[in-house]
Amino acid sequence: MDKIKELLEERRSLDAQLNSRRHFLKDCTLGLGGLALGSFLNSCSTGGTKIPAYTADRSLNPMASMPAPFLPKVKSVIYLHMVGAPSQLELFDYKPELAKLHNQPCPPSLLDSKKFAFIQGVPNMLGPQATFKREGESGNWVSNHLPHFKKIIDEVAFLKAVHTDQFNHGPAQMLMHTGSPRNGRPSIGSWVTYGLGSENNNLPGFVVLTSGGTPDAGKSIWGSGFLPSVYQGVHCRSKGDPVLYLKDPKGVSRGLKKKILESINEINFKEYQNFGDPEVLTRINQYEMAYRMQISVPEVMNIDKEPDAIKEMYGVQPGKEAFANNCLLARKMVEQGVRFVQLYDWGWDSHGASPTEALDTGFLKKCKATDRPIAALILDLKQRGLLDQTLVVWGGEFGRTPMWENRLGIQNSPGRDHQGDAFTMWMAGGGIKKGAVHGKTDEIGYGGIEGRVSVYDIQATILHLLGFDHEQFTYDFQGRPFRLTDVEGKVINEILA
Amino acid sequence: MIREKRVIVVLAGILVLIGFLVFSLKPDNQVDFATEVKPILNKHCISCHGGVKKNGGFSVLYESEAMGATESGKPAIIPGSARKSELIQRLHHTDPELQMPYQKPALSSKEIKILTDWIDQGAEWGPHWAYLPVEKTELPKVATVFEEKDFIANPIDHFIAARMEEKQLSPNPPANKNIIARRLAFDITGLPPDTNLFQSFVSGEISYENYIDSLFTATTYGEKWASWWLDLARYADTMGFEKDPGRTIWQYRDWVIKALNRDLPYDQFTIEQLAGDLLPEPSFDQLIATAFHRNTMNNDEGGTDDEEYRVAAVIDRVNTTFDVWQSTTMSCVQCHSHPYDPFRHKEYYNVMAFFNNTRDEDFPDESPNLIDYKPEERQKINSVLDWVSAHANADEQKIFKDFILFKEPNYAAHHFKVIDNGFVSGLNLGLRKGGAAFIKNVNPLGYQKLYLKFVGKTDRSTLVFRKNGINGEIIGKFKISKKEKNSYGDRQGQIITSIDIVKETEVFDLYVELQTQDQTFKKEHVLIHWIAFMPELPAKGKPGYTAVRKNLNEVLNIKGDVTPIMVENPDHMKRKTHVFDRGNWMVKTEEVQPGVPQTLNPWEKRWENNRLGFAQWLVDKKNPLTARTLVNRVWHQIFGKGLVDTLEDMGTMSDPPSHPALMDWLSYEFMHSMNWSLKKLIKTLLMSSTYRQSSFLSKEKLAVDGNNDYYSVGPKLRLSAEEIRDQALYVSGLLSDKMYGPGVMPPQPDGIWEHAYLGNLWKTSEGEDRYRRGIYTYLKRTSPYPSMITFDAGSREVCLVKRSPTNTPLQALVTMNDPVYLEAAMAFAKNYKNKEAKVAISHIYQKATYRTPDQDKLSSLYELYQEAKNTFEKNPNQLEDFFGMDQETDIKTATLAIIANAIMNLDEFLTHG
Repeated sequence: MDKIKELLEERRSLDAQLNSRRHFLKDCTLGLGGLALGSFLNSCSTGGTKIPAYTADRSLNPMASMPAPFLPKVKSVIYLHMVGAPSQLELFDYKPELAKLHNQPCPPSLLDSKKFAFIQGVPNMLGPQATFKREGESGNWVSNHLPHFKKIIDEVAFLKAVHTDQFNHGPAQMLMHTGSPRNGRPSIGSWVTYGLGSENNNLPGFVVLTSGGTPDAGKSIWGSGFLPSVYQGVHCRSKGDPVLYLKDPKGVSRGLKKKILESINEINFKEYQNFGDPEVLTRINQYEMAYRMQISVPEVMNIDKEPDAIKEMYGVQPGKEAFANNCLLARKMVEQGVRFVQLYDWGWDSHGASPTEALDTGFLKKCKATDRPIAALILDLKQRGLLDQTLVVWGGEFGRTPMWENRLGIQNSPGRDHQGDAFTMWMAGGGIKKGAVHGKTDEIGYGGIEGRVSVYDIQATILHLLGFDHEQFTYDFQGRPFRLTDVEGKVINEILA
Repeated sequence: MIREKRVIVVLAGILVLIGFLVFSLKPDNQVDFATEVKPILNKHCISCHGGVKKNGGFSVLYESEAMGATESGKPAIIPGSARKSELIQRLHHTDPELQMPYQKPALSSKEIKILTDWIDQGAEWGPHWAYLPVEKTELPKVATVFEEKDFIANPIDHFIAARMEEKQLSPNPPANKNIIARRLAFDITGLPPDTNLFQSFVSGEISYENYIDSLFTATTYGEKWASWWLDLARYADTMGFEKDPGRTIWQYRDWVIKALNRDLPYDQFTIEQLAGDLLPEPSFDQLIATAFHRNTMNNDEGGTDDEEYRVAAVIDRVNTTFDVWQSTTMSCVQCHSHPYDPFRHKEYYNVMAFFNNTRDEDFPDESPNLIDYKPEERQKINSVLDWVSAHANADEQKIFKDFILFKEPNYAAHHFKVIDNGFVSGLNLGLRKGGAAFIKNVNPLGYQKLYLKFVGKTDRSTLVFRKNGINGEIIGKFKISKKEKNSYGDRQGQIITSIDIVKETEVFDLYVELQTQDQTFKKEHVLIHWIAFMPELPAKGKPGYTAVRKNLNEVLNIKGDVTPIMVENPDHMKRKTHVFDRGNWMVKTEEVQPGVPQTLNPWEKRWENNRLGFAQWLVDKKNPLTARTLVNRVWHQIFGKGLVDTLEDMGTMSDPPSHPALMDWLSYEFMHSMNWSLKKLIKTLLMSSTYRQSSFLSKEKLAVDGNNDYYSVGPKLRLSAEEIRDQALYVSGLLSDKMYGPGVMPPQPDGIWEHAYLGNLWKTSEGEDRYRRGIYTYLKRTSPYPSMITFDAGSREVCLVKRSPTNTPLQALVTMNDPVYLEAAMAFAKNYKNKEAKVAISHIYQKATYRTPDQDKLSSLYELYQEAKNTFEKNPNQLEDFFGMDQETDIKTATLAIIANAIMNLDEFLTHG
């Protein structure tokens, strides 16, 4: 294995001579080359960001870390997506007027020209199923369902009037994470790792952790779209191998595995000498990384060794697939240089068609299961000095209506239908204005009246904090530059420090 | 060395001579617009002066805009006078506010000279090269040095040699026979070669061409190339989106395999997929072919608007059609005129009008579905059709035929609006006590049979159908029966039945109300899926009528394997197509008619103004893009890169072709002398010396032609996801050669399908279905087979023109640790366990790679063998449940399995030569 270093050196010098790749970086105008080779072959790009190129490292390791084009505020992102769309009206958006309208028939003017997923006929209004209090120095509102949140309320900047034009889960999640409600675009984590690589090459650069199930939009939601597949999210699982096929086969010890690897790499090196294909050197490097990943991934995924106080703080459930565990894992990962950690917690679709998804039962369980770990995550990042270099984003894919759902024309358990016109998200961490509130909804939380921000604005802001200009960060595909935010997006300066 | 130098001197001499000839042939030094001027305009100007941004009122997209007046009132280009042309003045300007390109590096003096000369010479405009018709192309003359090297095997080599000559490159020698034999086998069949065939070629018993021909006769050819086409067709076994339920559309996959194997000419291949249903008397296969465009996703998520996703599917069809056949990014034109290419916003919707009139409406059952009837069922169908034909006419027979085969035209439940105590959800219009609903503007065409597909939940209720109002004239009544459903034995209890209605020839609003004596308000009495109007079976009362009538009822209720297909709307259901303002389907503006983009080949009057005509337009030999696109993509399959490297796009912003004359020669011959035969086209590529070269990459060549732009090195590609898996199963003797049928589920780790609330689970296939080729692996869009995805296969949610091969640690984990590969390694080892160790190692290596191992590699493997053996001898407990095979393994087998596992991770195993 000592040969590897030598090989890598050789590969680097080769690349420096050539500025060109056969497989991985061969596409100047539409592949990675448009970006990575930008400074060497400046005719490649049709207007994309000129990111300083670390060509040699990238050809050998497509996840090699690269500096951001602008001064970044944060190095990593932890994105907490509450799949199913949590009700803003029971968590953060306090609407006393709505309480007064409780169980009165919805005025027709609120229903006209609106499209709903499930509401049929005329539903009644549904008052807030929570009590609210001002907390922290900021005095921001939070409901009684989130008792731990007050500990971090002053770290957080709220966006109270986020809007989306998608009101079905799958498309809305796709829009939130890929900038398009339809399939085929890269997810935000893919964009970020494509642009920045990752700081720890023994771990995947873009990690996905799920609890409760896969998001409605499926695995494409962390797919790499037209970016090379190496930038797709790696789903680290709580059961079985944390990364697929990570475990050595039964009967193969670590020592034997090392020997197998040495033989493979030795023969591959011989092949390189015989045929001169530089891609073989890349392969050798990938096998090295795979071998190291086999050790480092299980290590980072193991929460047993954490001190009891930390486990207690998060409320982890060892051996289970739990959001609390995932929050702790997210901290461990950013600590070790993972670029983008995406959490999905399924089960927030509070229609009220059955108790498991009603605001008075299932929803409360979800609040309980996430409140403490989220507070712990922020506090833990803070006590380790990581919060300043990490961005934490919380939200769903849309919001909920101020009326009963009235599914199939019948009022069931308390629940709300989908609504895209106004919902709450929050961000915390590096570059975020602590305790800020941006945006305001009308008296019943049905639409934004001030400070409305779109899904694209959220994406633009995340990229901005990582050191990208979202309008300049492009990838050439099908003869034109594509970007995460399509033709939209504005950085939300109001919540920036 | 001396020889080489001499070659270079001779080459240099030839170059000077060619240069002189070229110069002297063009005495006036005429600048060529398409190859010299347009690329400069595209590179430096069009992003600000194009279809979206027309800064200063100037655009270089269309001739009229380029030559017309700008905001200043004057044109920027004055033909004949570069000096007076503001375009040229601005290029020379020193004021940064006025200099063009704005805030970007200035053009090179060579580029400015080309533009200057062009304007001085009259500024003659012309289309982008890819929009010019494909012309017959002469072969370039080849320098004798290439002939001496025996490089010229077929016309392709003329073109390749000519370019190599420009760079003073010389080709690689041919690859060794064993290497080229394996490379060919993968390129034609996606598998390693059959040992006997391999031997007869390597021994010289059969020729290179015979070897190729033998490979082409194998049905494995269709399976290999189908993968490529199914990526374009976005074929998958599920509907996609949130619920991503299963879809039975594998008959389309099988159609592709069969069509490729019988070498259905590409023009016909195209027509049948885009418009097979509109062909006269379409065969079952031709209807199945139309499933190409039924591979669009279907959104079943609760609460989605079916019309929104119907439109999304139509848009996908337009975009995919242009992606697949025209290398044109039509999707850009959805929201505005194309920024770079000469396609106007409205033209998108003209094309959409061709696709906007199929019966599918994102309905959860994916109707229209074609049923694959059994022979005895076909007999019954024929009895009905013969009866109709004998007692009515051919038109009426077609009405019955369509209705029996795919139940169209019908009005699906989602067209109903609920007035009271009912709901519309998913497949159903549900009605409770007193429930009522209506559909606007139904057209019964005077037919007196109303068919319903429904589920009856009570026996005491009646549906009352009325005309134009909840209290309108009663046109028919239907007593709901729970019993009836049992006679057809359907699990869901859905049945199709009919009632008599009053004759109506005009369009009206149909109202339906549920009347019942039942007192429960919340109970559902009936779920209606759709209604349809049909003529009565003719010749009522004639002998035999009752039996035929019974047959009709029966065949309508037969359940079988279904495949979603394309069916055109009848005239009375035709949709209008509108331009969507900024691509937003909710904001419709001008109405448009079907039409094709003006930039491309003209529309011929002989074509019908529908999808069939559109398909014929697409494969008209005058279409400049169809053949070029196909040739470019087949070339990419074989050489790992396109002649135009931007495989998705041949428009203005695409890369110029590396070998334009070759591109046109192949495209022309493909349409004419090869008569659209894919096999002939592929064979032509494989017969070239260009292809046969060794893939050896010397450091010198790496420096000059590192990207292999000049094809001075033979292709060496990483195998595809399917090929890597198929190969492992093949060399270990596990691969099943069973073809066709529903997707299979080979082993995958637990917990991959983890849909939050749907119970459909991955059920690992039994028997040989575990070991089928990758093309038959069940593809769930939201959760594709993991190892395939790791090796760059797509999730098939949208059209995938190109898989980008990557090289990642996760791939290493698959081939080292995935149980599929472990099982293969074990099977592999067992085949050799009775041989002496060194012999066994050597044989496994040879069997896997079709090469003889050199001493170094062999000793490296032997070292591994020894180490593994020692380990197992010291720790025999490691052999219990070795590789997770649920059985104890002997040391020899285990050790050889380790060797096989290592070999299946070698570069020579994972690449094709």
